[in-house]
Amino acid sequence: MKCEIDARGLACPQPVVLTKNKMKECNHIEITVDNETALENIKRLAGSSGWSYEDTVSGSNYIITLKGDNTKTTDAPAEFMTSCSGEGTVISFSSDKMGKGDDELGSILMKAFVHTITTLDSLPSAIVFYNSGVMLAADGSGVADDLNVLNKKGVQLLICGTCVNYFKIGDKIKTGTISNMFDILNTLSKATRIINP
Amino acid sequence: MTGAAEPVYFVLLFPSVSHVMKAEKILLKEEIPIKIIPVPKTISSDCGVCIRFEEKLVKKIKSILENHFETMEFRKL
Repeated sequence: MKCEIDARGLACPQPVVLTKNKMKECNHIEITVDNETALENIKRLAGSSGWSYEDTVSGSNYIITLKGDNTKTTDAPAEFMTSCSGEGTVISFSSDKMGKGDDELGSILMKAFVHTITTLDSLPSAIVFYNSGVMLAADGSGVADDLNVLNKKGVQLLICGTCVNYFKIGDKIKTGTISNMFDILNTLSKATRIINP
Repeated sequence: MTGAAEPVYFVLLFPSVSHVMKAEKILLKEEIPIKIIPVPKTISSDCGVCIRFEEKLVKKIKSILENHFETMEFRKL
């Protein structure tokens, strides 16, 4: 059965919720949306549900055609998450090591991790640093240059001031913003996703 | 912008992450400007790390490390 959805003018996550419901009744759905967030969310829903999709631009709207097996579609898989514009992805560095186990290994992994952020197609909106995580933002950490690149590309860097004072590295922080608990918690609580390496 | 050309980088690959850790320590002690980066996907799809530096440092790094390691592989990025 073919179904059509006109999701223009609807706020996120409505378009994706409507699509999800129709996927139980129809095996061919044509959805019209008026923004890229809705388009991306629906494409991700289709992808994670094993449906095929094609999208075309029509004036200021997007038309997405989904095809799949509605008899198998129950609910979207658990890993699917709608991302409404929100504040985007926030990376939270609570340590200067990646993971627990061996600190020397954790330190190497962290350097590779931070460098890799600069190569992402979709950058995080903010990065917060606390406890020994603030060491990463200090000159000589091996990744301060990567963080500076991110900062220049518009990624907000919030560095815990209490921690900077505790480690006595204030004079070595040359990028980002020395911040406070209020701003750090506010940023974390508005995040669509938080990555904690 | 100064209009300066992007530097040409080399990476140094080792058989294991332990070798990378050892080499990083030696090079940092000599104050050689290096960066740890993941092994580029064009070189290997393994989850590895390698050492990146500017082309002009290749000789120097080779001479510092050659007595410490049997296997090293320099690759231009």
